[in-house]
Amino acid sequence: MIDVQGLKKEYIEGETPTQALRGVTLSIEKGEFVSVMGPSGSGKSTLLHILSFLDRPTGGSYKFQGKSIDDMTDQELAHVRNKDMGFVFQSFNLLSRLTVYDNVEIPLLYSDILPAKRQELIEDAVKAVGLEEKLNTEAGRLSGGQKQRVAIARALVTDPNIIFADEPTGNLDSQSGLQVMEILKSLHEKGRTVVLVTHESQTAEFANRIIRVKDGLVESDKAITAHSLHGTLK
Amino acid sequence: MLFRDAFKTSTRSLVHGKMRSILTMLGIVIGIASVIILMSVGQSAQDLIIGQVQGIGSNLVVITPGAPSNGRFSPPASAQGVIITSLQQQDVNALQREPSITAVAPLVSGQANVVYGNNNATESYQGVTADMFSIRNLTIGKGYQFTQSDVDSANHVAVIGPDLAVTLFGPYVDPVNKTVRLKDISFRVVGVLSKGGTGAFGVNQGDIVLIPITVAQKELLGISYFSTILVQANQNYNIDFVTSRIAFVLQQDHGITDPNKDDFSIQTQANILSLLGNVTSILTLFLAAIASISLVVGGIGIMNIMLVAVTERTREIGLRKAVGATNNDILQQFLIESVLLTFAGGVVGIAIGAGVVGLVYLGLSAFTSIGWVFAFPISAVILSLAVSGIAGIAFGIYPALQAARKNPIDALRYE
Repeated sequence: MIDVQGLKKEYIEGETPTQALRGVTLSIEKGEFVSVMGPSGSGKSTLLHILSFLDRPTGGSYKFQGKSIDDMTDQELAHVRNKDMGFVFQSFNLLSRLTVYDNVEIPLLYSDILPAKRQELIEDAVKAVGLEEKLNTEAGRLSGGQKQRVAIARALVTDPNIIFADEPTGNLDSQSGLQVMEILKSLHEKGRTVVLVTHESQTAEFANRIIRVKDGLVESDKAITAHSLHGTLK
Repeated sequence: MLFRDAFKTSTRSLVHGKMRSILTMLGIVIGIASVIILMSVGQSAQDLIIGQVQGIGSNLVVITPGAPSNGRFSPPASAQGVIITSLQQQDVNALQREPSITAVAPLVSGQANVVYGNNNATESYQGVTADMFSIRNLTIGKGYQFTQSDVDSANHVAVIGPDLAVTLFGPYVDPVNKTVRLKDISFRVVGVLSKGGTGAFGVNQGDIVLIPITVAQKELLGISYFSTILVQANQNYNIDFVTSRIAFVLQQDHGITDPNKDDFSIQTQANILSLLGNVTSILTLFLAAIASISLVVGGIGIMNIMLVAVTERTREIGLRKAVGATNNDILQQFLIESVLLTFAGGVVGIAIGAGVVGLVYLGLSAFTSIGWVFAFPISAVILSLAVSGIAGIAFGIYPALQAARKNPIDALRYE
């Protein structure tokens, strides 16, 4: 599904260029649940942004579902983001004055799904995160955990193949964080690909594969078996 | 993105910032209201002026002494204070023999103090023949008009305007058969014009004094020429043919062979109307141009606020792009917002403008006797709506492009 070869990303800040990614090579198959871990400044967020089509690499190649990002226009990237990808951000990025319903509707506004079918999709997505009673509440009035669940519903509503989550538990208390991770896990169990960026190992271990990134390079790439999970917890 | 959804999204964000939206609109509201007010006042003034000219009758031809002016907008020489004596009694006689002409009425005019008892007023007087009453559609309210025999025998009789009658005699005294003095010459008032007579040539008919032309020429002015000859064309002839006949007769009479050396000028109502129409249209356009300056200022206000909104909503733009909005979707959303602002401002401005125009009309008709017309030109409304829509696009496109060009990840990270 995701095939990355020698991916590079260079930022120009002032006079000095900064290399956020210095040649990352990895591939992610359909149905995987992958955590990308690393200290801050390691390039893990940059990697996620490029994988999720929010940014373009400055070097190397990236094929998503067999198609190279270099061959796609910004408009095509927008369509893929809309159709095949879902996003969950650390800071939720909800429009606080809109209701839960209206927030979850936003991706549908930019899709080719007919208005008549939207209500059902929105209600299903909100039900999947257990917030059906808050459907008409303004997003700004919800607690942090509820907000992140709305964000997951928004990511789900277009029925994407892959969900990208950037530190989804970073702004949450551990109780809410756990709830959010359980939802992501259940999405994976229903067959969706999930790519998660985090620096908390407890969060990372919900995945079945952990990629550690350091100084813009992949440091390690390990599948987590029940055995090794047990080992880490010990 | 469906336009319906884009429209809903835009209205929603405008409603969320109600106070700001209203204040932003205010610039456009004021601009459009002033355009509407000035255009409609201009139109009213134009209607008023043209209405007065039309009051002189469509088959009326006016002959004034002096060569026609070359410039379209400058008055003939006779109106510039130069005394020209080229119109004489023999011209009147010659014109009267023309079959395409129904009536010929020469006139002379001046200003003098009119006195009755202790009351007096300085007014225009005109020396006219009896035909003048019918040619100018003058109707008598009290008494009767003087006759051609009064003119021929130079009787000291006068017909006065209704406003002047009140000035001199008060509202209760019947002026008929009273004697007034004009330049120390006594005239017996035989009639008073009826109210509401239309004034032509800038003379207020309410205050005019009409006396036999013979008396005016010999006793008041001491001249034998005329200042104007009014000709009523025969309805069966084309007005252009009649003017060409008049020119021919006068050229023969004055021994002129080169038409460029004419010592008279001929104007028809159509000439005067088109001249006045040009002048007042330019005036109206000029007023509208001044008013549109405030529209530009209002538009810049919109641009300013939209730029602020784009910056404030950077994260929203980033989020929308992340979940699939294309550059065009974002562009469309912000353009719709600014066009909605200006368009709503335009509609409110038109309503306020109409209100003010209505008040001006009510005020003028309640407190003055000016026959002000309530003109609310539909062209001004259409123009205003078009201008406000275009202003929305013109002043909204730059902020909208700024929004559309944002890189999604930079926008999402914006703090």
